[in-house]
Amino acid sequence: MRHCFRKPLTKLLVFSLFPVLFLSKSYALDDVLDAPSMKTNLAAEALLLDVAAAGERIVAVGERGHIIYSDDQGVKWTQAQVPVSVSLTAVYFPTDTHGWAVGHGAIILHSSDAGETWKKQFDGNKANQEVIDQSEKSIATLESALESAPESQQEDLEMQLEEAQFGLEDSQFDAEVGPSKPLLDILFLNDQEGFAVGAYGFFFKTEDGGKSWFNVSDRIDNKDGFHLNAIAQVTGGSIFIAGEAGLVFRSNDNGDSWVSLDSPYDGSFFGTSGTGNVNEVLVFGLRGNLYRSIDLGANWIRIDSDNEATLIAAKDDADGIITVVGNSGIVLVSGDSGESFQSVIRENRKAVNSVLLLENGNLLLVGEHGVDISGPSGRNL
Amino acid sequence: MSNPKHDKGEHYLLTPKAEPFLERVIFNNRFVILVMFLFLTAFLGYNAVKIKPDASFERLIPLEHPFIINMLDNRDDLKNLGNSIKIAIAVEEGDIFTEEYMATLQKISDEMFDLSGVDRSGLKSLWTPNVRWVEVTEEGFQGGPVIPDGYNGSRDSLESLRQNILKSGQVGSLVADNFKSTIIYAPLFEINPETNEPLDYKAFSLELEAKIRAKYGEPNPNINVHIIGFAKKVGDLIEGIGSIAMFALITIGLTAVFLFWYSRCLVGTFVPIFTSLVAVFWQLGILKLLGYGIDPYSVLVPFLVFAIGISHGVQIVNQMAVESAKGFDAMTSARLSFRQLYIPGMLALVSDAIGFLTLLFIQIDVIRDLAVAAGVGVAVIIITNLVLHPLIMSYVGISKGGIKHVQNHGEKQDRKWRLMSFFSHPSVAPISILIAVLGFGLGIYYQKDLKIGDLDKGAPELRADSRYNLDNEYIISNYSTSADVLVIMVETEKEKCSDYGVMNAMDKLQWTLENTPGVESTASLVTVSKLVTKALNEGNFKWFELSRNQSIINSSIQRAPSGLVNTNCDMTPVLAFLKDHKAETLKEVIAAVELFVDQNPSEDFKFLLGAGNAGVEAATNQVISKAKDMMLFFVYAVVSTLCFITFRSIRAVICIVTPLALTSVLCEALMAQLGIGIKVATLPVIALGVGIGVDYGIYIYTKLEKLLMEGKPLQEAYFETLRTTGKAVSFTGVTLGVGVFTWIFSPIKFQADMGILLFFMFIWNMVGSIWLLPALARFLLRPDKMAAKARAVEAEGN
Repeated sequence: MRHCFRKPLTKLLVFSLFPVLFLSKSYALDDVLDAPSMKTNLAAEALLLDVAAAGERIVAVGERGHIIYSDDQGVKWTQAQVPVSVSLTAVYFPTDTHGWAVGHGAIILHSSDAGETWKKQFDGNKANQEVIDQSEKSIATLESALESAPESQQEDLEMQLEEAQFGLEDSQFDAEVGPSKPLLDILFLNDQEGFAVGAYGFFFKTEDGGKSWFNVSDRIDNKDGFHLNAIAQVTGGSIFIAGEAGLVFRSNDNGDSWVSLDSPYDGSFFGTSGTGNVNEVLVFGLRGNLYRSIDLGANWIRIDSDNEATLIAAKDDADGIITVVGNSGIVLVSGDSGESFQSVIRENRKAVNSVLLLENGNLLLVGEHGVDISGPSGRNL
Repeated sequence: MSNPKHDKGEHYLLTPKAEPFLERVIFNNRFVILVMFLFLTAFLGYNAVKIKPDASFERLIPLEHPFIINMLDNRDDLKNLGNSIKIAIAVEEGDIFTEEYMATLQKISDEMFDLSGVDRSGLKSLWTPNVRWVEVTEEGFQGGPVIPDGYNGSRDSLESLRQNILKSGQVGSLVADNFKSTIIYAPLFEINPETNEPLDYKAFSLELEAKIRAKYGEPNPNINVHIIGFAKKVGDLIEGIGSIAMFALITIGLTAVFLFWYSRCLVGTFVPIFTSLVAVFWQLGILKLLGYGIDPYSVLVPFLVFAIGISHGVQIVNQMAVESAKGFDAMTSARLSFRQLYIPGMLALVSDAIGFLTLLFIQIDVIRDLAVAAGVGVAVIIITNLVLHPLIMSYVGISKGGIKHVQNHGEKQDRKWRLMSFFSHPSVAPISILIAVLGFGLGIYYQKDLKIGDLDKGAPELRADSRYNLDNEYIISNYSTSADVLVIMVETEKEKCSDYGVMNAMDKLQWTLENTPGVESTASLVTVSKLVTKALNEGNFKWFELSRNQSIINSSIQRAPSGLVNTNCDMTPVLAFLKDHKAETLKEVIAAVELFVDQNPSEDFKFLLGAGNAGVEAATNQVISKAKDMMLFFVYAVVSTLCFITFRSIRAVICIVTPLALTSVLCEALMAQLGIGIKVATLPVIALGVGIGVDYGIYIYTKLEKLLMEGKPLQEAYFETLRTTGKAVSFTGVTLGVGVFTWIFSPIKFQADMGILLFFMFIWNMVGSIWLLPALARFLLRPDKMAAKARAVEAEGN
């Protein structure tokens, strides 16, 4: 039934022929990728997954397409208009007014009014198609290369071709399953150029403010399709991606080329962040594992987080203050650019999924139970 | 009671030879009949003693309501949600991380394991191996029982216990948020698989008290035991029925005192009590033979039967004394009393019975049982108190003191009646009417707060300060749990219950409900799926979402609790935990569900209301609010019709029914002000109150009419009515009031509510008939015309 609505002309025709039929509700629920997020008073108390500053404004995103914003440092919150009701996993504002949010169903949303209203730019159907198109293109390239290639290279090319064909089959299968894979983080270098990373190696780039997104997953060495959990730019301009199974990638040329770094850890990294100092970077994840590098990831030092709670997100501040948060209510605060941390477990032990340093030095925590404001150390006010 | 025939009858009553057939049969075979009574009483009494308490859940609910039909259709699949016991073991000082506490908990946990009726495989406590901690590590999941290996009560092992508890995610469900108590959760077998016996709630509840609370809680000042669960509640209820025995004794004692004060004769005191008790035994015996048990509602009917029996017995004692005072011997006095009273007595009882039978319109079995029990009781009274009573009196006679008391009819005794006869005075009557109008106004004003359903927190059947409700309060405030659950059943085709489309709709419904005032939280297979999907992704909340990938959904619900999905996967429930079970809360939540279902039709699934205690209450409320007006209409229609048939006068009907209506309105206002809702327990009271209350008016009016027909002026006629019938009526009102008064102290909340309301209605109906009826008569009746008409009829007859 649904596919016939894809083409506007068909839609028009069908509606004009059977107006009465379509006035009565023909099927149950709108797809979560098309259903606007429901108005609710509970968004600030429900699961929130990320928070970002849009100039003076604070914008947080969470489950069921919730986006809320506050103009008074997190006291009062207003729910934004969002055209989807999937969980949104990350939000990023490169400028005061332009921001992007990503989420499940590989959704990418854009706001040009500092987070009040949002428009859909990309979703899992497009993502799957994008991956298929690219596979087909590379198969075509390989096939033509194979024809003209010398005998010595043929075996190698055939292997590559076979691999590419498997890849195509995989992505065709994914497309059949539907838009099921989430995007997990987003980064914009300016209001035109941005990256979105996600599950099973999803990696997309835009160069036109999100009007078009293209698959760049072939730029990194992630053949197994591990989750890419986080992407961040550190002081000095390098960009880091942290992922499942200890994956860490770095780009020194604004994302055109990437190197896979030797990882200090086999478990998953859920976040990466700068420290405020040039070329310094933190990666962190499962069971309190936290590593710091002052040489763009060439060497890593393990930082004792004094806890086994999984670390999810971090924010760095120009004054050398870094806050890392995670499951079971863990809040780590460093005053020395990440060389050492003080840990606090929140009383309610609920997961903290992201954090923002407020103007008065307090912390705005978002997580399992919505918004919470704590003192600078993470303890209750 | 009067009809033209009956009035005529009074004339030949005074000629000793005119014996009605029935009287001749009864009094000429006194001995044979008494022996028959003896055998019948022995037989029925034997059965009465065998009657069993029965608090069957199904009888309390409206079985024909669609919610209940849906619930019963799915009852096997919902079973796993249902019958369980939660025992919170709390420490007074300190927290649970002490060697002593853990040792006590272990003992209690073992004790529960051995308790018959407990489904051992589902038993959960910190000490059972199924309570585990789980952690995500680089290699995958790691876990173990929360009690650490080699636990020895040392500080180290208690500390690792604390860590394990934190990792186990049991804080809020099995361990209190403040670490001052933990819960032992025990699912119960409805039918014991070993013995095939149904669970004996009373025995189980008593065993919990003896083996857990008395053994561990009471001797140890630092340990408190809190027990909740359906089985415990029902056990407490059944135990509550037991305290009724004491109320019965008190009622009998109080009645004896009143009777003696009224008759001043031991025979006149104890014979009515004896015959009324016989009536009670007969009633219970017959119910037993008909296959009924005695539930917490119908246990009150014997009190009513006793009180009605007494009030009719009084009439006989009174009449015996009057006849004996005229110099007749015991036998003749008894015969004359029988002759005068069997027709009005029977008519009054029949009108009571018809009043009760209107309860049959309500589609809730306990109420219907109540109607049957009361109907049987009233029928029995006709035999015991109208036949047995005069028969016994014919042997024993009335004492001299009793006769003297009747003869002693000086002006002194009459002064109060003289004073009260002014209620019919032309200048007092308008004031009375004004007050009545005011009463109606105030009643209607205050009645607007009247609510349907149960209004209190906790188990509404028990008092707010009952042990059970205090335990309930403790557990609710220390754990993330709610006692009020609405279950929406989601039906699909086989193996389709976890399809993404179905689950997505359930998720939407849950969120809609969570946004509905009154809903605290929701749970379903979707909740499990999201949680497990998150857990399988290393505990990252970014994955807390219903996946569109069916294989991810399938693996996420593999180990879902059995209550959340049935074996065929064609039914899965959505649970909404509510903040309370007030009627408005339920109404709003039900409306939200119905709106959602209406707006999201689908061929793939059906969302069906409504199981859980909240679903049952919502259904009951709907049935009750629909039945309430219809039942009131029927009761008043029946009563008015009966009055009209008897008196052939609309004016008479108005005189008799208006005081009843005033009482009904005031009673509803009283309910609103006392916070008593209209519910299974209180709805029958309205019918019972009107049905029994109408007797007063009928007695008073009968006498008044007769005197007016004889040509007496209104006030004089009313004075005469008061000092004879009025006296009996006021005594009856007090006796009935006393009969139900003791219920007010029942440990069962709804019995107390019924007691308050019946007491109010019995007393007020009596007051209304004595005070308001004559005022209405002043305006409505035409004594001249009535006398003239009576003369004309008599002339015609001659």
